[in-house]
Amino acid sequence: MDIVVFFVASGCAIASAIAVVAQKNPFVSALALLANLASLAALMLLLEAQFVAAAQIIVYAGAVMVMFLFVIAYVGPRGEIGGGVRKPWLVALSVFAALLIAVEVIVVVFGASLGAVASVDTDYGSPAAIGKALVTDYLLAFEVVSVILFMAAVAGVVFGTGGRPVRLSTEQVLAKEGESAVARRREASRAALDAARDSTTGESAR
Amino acid sequence: MVDGVIITVIKSLVLASVLMGFFAYMTWVERKLIGRFQARYGPNRVGPYGLMQPIADLGKMLQKENMIPEMAHRKLYIAAPFIAMTCAIGAFGLLPFGNVATIPGTDWTIHLYIADTSVSLLVVAAIGSLGFYGLMIGGWASSSKYALLGGMRAIAQLVSYEVAFTLAVIGVIIQASSLSFVTIANAQEHLWYIIPQFLGFLVFFVAAVAESNRPPFDLTEADGEVVAGYHTEYGGMRYAMFAAAEFINAITLSALGAVLFLGGPSGPFLPGPIWMMLKIGAFLFVLIWIRATLPRVRFDQLMKIGWKVLLPVATLNLLLTAVAVVYL
Repeated sequence: MDIVVFFVASGCAIASAIAVVAQKNPFVSALALLANLASLAALMLLLEAQFVAAAQIIVYAGAVMVMFLFVIAYVGPRGEIGGGVRKPWLVALSVFAALLIAVEVIVVVFGASLGAVASVDTDYGSPAAIGKALVTDYLLAFEVVSVILFMAAVAGVVFGTGGRPVRLSTEQVLAKEGESAVARRREASRAALDAARDSTTGESAR
Repeated sequence: MVDGVIITVIKSLVLASVLMGFFAYMTWVERKLIGRFQARYGPNRVGPYGLMQPIADLGKMLQKENMIPEMAHRKLYIAAPFIAMTCAIGAFGLLPFGNVATIPGTDWTIHLYIADTSVSLLVVAAIGSLGFYGLMIGGWASSSKYALLGGMRAIAQLVSYEVAFTLAVIGVIIQASSLSFVTIANAQEHLWYIIPQFLGFLVFFVAAVAESNRPPFDLTEADGEVVAGYHTEYGGMRYAMFAAAEFINAITLSALGAVLFLGGPSGPFLPGPIWMMLKIGAFLFVLIWIRATLPRVRFDQLMKIGWKVLLPVATLNLLLTAVAVVYL
């Protein structure tokens, strides 16, 4: 049973990984990446890592890839990406990089004398075991990561809202940019006001 | 799998069939109730009390042409309803309908749930989040403005409410100190969690209405704005599958609410599955009642409720629960 699941999941993982780079449509590529993540979750289940497998799906499939698809669907090209950007040195470089990784993997696999899967307790990857590890042995790392994530969230809000607009007084603008700039600014703010009024009336009419 | 492969397959088939039948007749109940709320009869022409209406609807759906829009991405367009449907039904595999039952006349015992894992709740959350892709792919692959906008709205709404939803559920997880539905249901033998977790229950309920895309949070298919949202370009059985997936999601979330807050299959006199059905029915009745009562919210109101009301309340509930569990 385990063997069958292993080979099916591995096959899916490899096939979907190839599809990610081989597909010309970015939306389909992103879906292939999703399939890849799901196959990896299945492999994690075989290694008794139930919590990591579920978290993999919730975090990557449920949140990260949704955002990828969101962006691709809104701003990405509808059709296929043209093949005109293929430069020979780029192809050579990518083949070289792939070969390097292949050599590395081969060296690791044959050098580490990997045997059978290590036998672990059934509660090895359970949520309780992982939670205990996070708040005892790895407390510092856990807290540091949470602070970094919090900062990232705050930064996201700040950048997302575009920051607070700075209001300069007439004297400041005059001192900085001269007479014509004041007129330009007045024009711009009047236009913005009109636009805002239009959009609000449109809103209430709807 | 607690009962071996063959029994598990049989149980899954029975559960899926019962679920589809339950869904079909819940659409009848919904139309009947909405009719009553609006002082009219609702369906009453097909069979006694209109009881054959779901079957007539099915017949109509089956006869319709399976058209695919010219510009659509064919494979994804066809796959999307299946993804939505599979994810909607899949979550039911982990919900308990009782502990152990003996088949009458024999001494066989079966478990009244298909699987019980140490991460059941997470798996249901994962399946639920995969269900988003059905809507999103359907919206994108249709190659229609309204479908795309509806799909994007669905994703924005689901991702926003997923956060508050999960935080509300964590309160229950802390109190039961388990992620397994069977353990959570059994832990409520003396006191349903709706009482100690009332705040969490409120957040859970509002978020669940939003997660199931039901009124007043049905902005994904607001007919005055985006025609029918992500399934604008779908017709016939493909549309029916989307509609079914949506309704079964509502049933799943009701079942989740019943297990997490109303003691799951426990109750006096009647067997577990009946109690589960009654509790799911109670949830669905309130959902239909809300649909008949409240007007649709605006999109900015939707986001405001999700991020500025539900999220802080859920966080507060989480902190209070954590303090109470440690110090009481």
